[in-house]
Amino acid sequence: MRRRQFNQLIAGITAAAGLPGALHASTGDKAPSWAEQFDNALADRPWLLGYRSVQQTRFAASADVSGSWPEALTGTFYRNGPAQHEIGDYRYRHWFAGDGMLQAYRVGTGGVDHQAALIETYKVQAERRAGRALYPGFASVPPDPAPVTSPDTVNVANISVLHHHGKLLALWEAGSPWEMDPEDLSTRGAYAFAPEMRGVPFSAHPRIEPDGTLWNFGYLSSAKLLVLWHIDKNGKLVKAGKVKADPISMVHDFVVTQRHLVLMVPPLHYAPDGEATTFLDAHKWRPDDPTRLLVVDKNNFDNHFWVELPSQWVFHYGNGWEDDNGVIHFDAARAGDPMAMIDSFREVMRGNLTPSGGSHHHEYRIDTRTRKVAEAPMFGMNLETEFPSVDPRVSGQRNRRLTMMSSNTLTPPVHGHLNEVSIFDYDSGARDVYRYPDAQIPEEHIYVADPSQAAETAGWIIGSAFDWQQDQTLLNVFDARRLADGPLATARLPYGLPLGLHGRFVHG
Amino acid sequence: MPLKTLLTAGAAVYACLMTQLISAETLTVVITNVPESKGTIMLQVLAGEAEFKGEATPIASVMQRAAAGEMSFTTTSLPAGEYAVRIMHDLNENGDLDANFVGMPTEPWAFSNNAVGNFGPPKWDDVKFQLEGSVTQSLNLNR
Repeated sequence: MRRRQFNQLIAGITAAAGLPGALHASTGDKAPSWAEQFDNALADRPWLLGYRSVQQTRFAASADVSGSWPEALTGTFYRNGPAQHEIGDYRYRHWFAGDGMLQAYRVGTGGVDHQAALIETYKVQAERRAGRALYPGFASVPPDPAPVTSPDTVNVANISVLHHHGKLLALWEAGSPWEMDPEDLSTRGAYAFAPEMRGVPFSAHPRIEPDGTLWNFGYLSSAKLLVLWHIDKNGKLVKAGKVKADPISMVHDFVVTQRHLVLMVPPLHYAPDGEATTFLDAHKWRPDDPTRLLVVDKNNFDNHFWVELPSQWVFHYGNGWEDDNGVIHFDAARAGDPMAMIDSFREVMRGNLTPSGGSHHHEYRIDTRTRKVAEAPMFGMNLETEFPSVDPRVSGQRNRRLTMMSSNTLTPPVHGHLNEVSIFDYDSGARDVYRYPDAQIPEEHIYVADPSQAAETAGWIIGSAFDWQQDQTLLNVFDARRLADGPLATARLPYGLPLGLHGRFVHG
Repeated sequence: MPLKTLLTAGAAVYACLMTQLISAETLTVVITNVPESKGTIMLQVLAGEAEFKGEATPIASVMQRAAAGEMSFTTTSLPAGEYAVRIMHDLNENGDLDANFVGMPTEPWAFSNNAVGNFGPPKWDDVKFQLEGSVTQSLNLNR
């Protein structure tokens, strides 16, 4: 969507609300609340239903399946995401602030059963007891806030989900994993991999090697620390490490190769100045400062070095690997700045569409011998990308395919979100793509391997989408070799759920 | 936090702290939510930023068996002035406030004014209070 269109739409909303836009930031008695602004905007933009708050803690239904579900695709597709965006009449002021809801799609030729449960974090339980919003969120502070005594006080467990050593864990990025029952999705509570790791930040993007070895990181802004995790396939902590990062930033994802971990610390500096009242607002974007990349030896976390790139912002990496010359290769959905998070994901919660530059796919190389780093765009500037992923069987090794969500900026959908799922073939340079109808907003799609076939040769792409015209959420499965043909099968739920974040497929 | 010193000095200081002396100042500390009758409650009164930072020995310390629910401590032996209170619930009685891999406490704790800090540990300005006449600090343990 063009900037002019955005501005016209925003002007339309503010006119409808009867107030100039500038007044929306004030807390005067006459200013409409964020909940009122959101409700007003819904009339003009019904796709905003994807950001409405759930009003119940549980969902369960059998989906209406059309098409032909692949016989060999049996298992559970778990998804997590922010879902409770309001408590009473208090609406959170950032998409990332929503309390997490875990979903499970049990799929097979016998049908698709869906269930979802609000994750009963300390925060959810305390706020239910209090009957009101209690805690400062990612980007807003409710009236008369309660003290935050540890990151887990405000852990909303809303970003992603991990299934490992028989445990199902809902992940935030600044605190503990939250353990869930894999069968009924009831909440078991904060999970610790070891007693001394209780409460230590565990990011939402752990990477699992084909043998089950798990690597992760976390960040503790107040201590300017990056934490590194090495966990074996049985869930036992092998080692943990700490690396000072000053200045520190939010770090969402990282790269694992055969020999190294790579973490990018963008110049969104954590610098609380006393006036900042929320975690997001405690960060300052400094585009003249470099983005720093930390390269860590997997065998010895104390053995690490830093390299620098121009300022940039990355949420997600597809994969990383290392060649025989000691050169690390990885890819990322790269944005010029974090304005999507600072602005767009905030404003959408009161129904505003604010443009941000979008992210474009880049490939990166770090020569571990010369310590030189380089990056280059992979596609044209018309192709925006996000949520890159690969066949889990090549995680940390050289990949030939890359799955991602994308959008052609020349033909944007009416809802302004990414509207394609793509697979890029590194060998042929071709990109297979399926464009969703404008009535549907696709969420992250992932590659699900066909266990009977060699890695990256055959499998499925599975992902959900929100049909805002029908107010229904649906799950699509595609043949990974023929994405453009459209879904092999669609499982449609009798209800719509808020747009979420990351999912994982568990075979069996 | 420097609790070893507190352990060794505990009994004597407790006697001192609890002795009713002739004084105009009375400090009462009420802990409202001791989670379980297990381990030891350790309370320190700090008479300045140096004591708060662990650079000097607290002016008064007390240890007592934890009793679930509310616990109360009173002293009349302190002169008027600026103070802070720090409380730890040593559940496993190892003499320390246990912390995780990155230094966050894993046992219950509290500061005067119920200060919890904002983007980091509380500072002296957050925890200090003026003792003059009769002062009660009603504190909640955090964990």
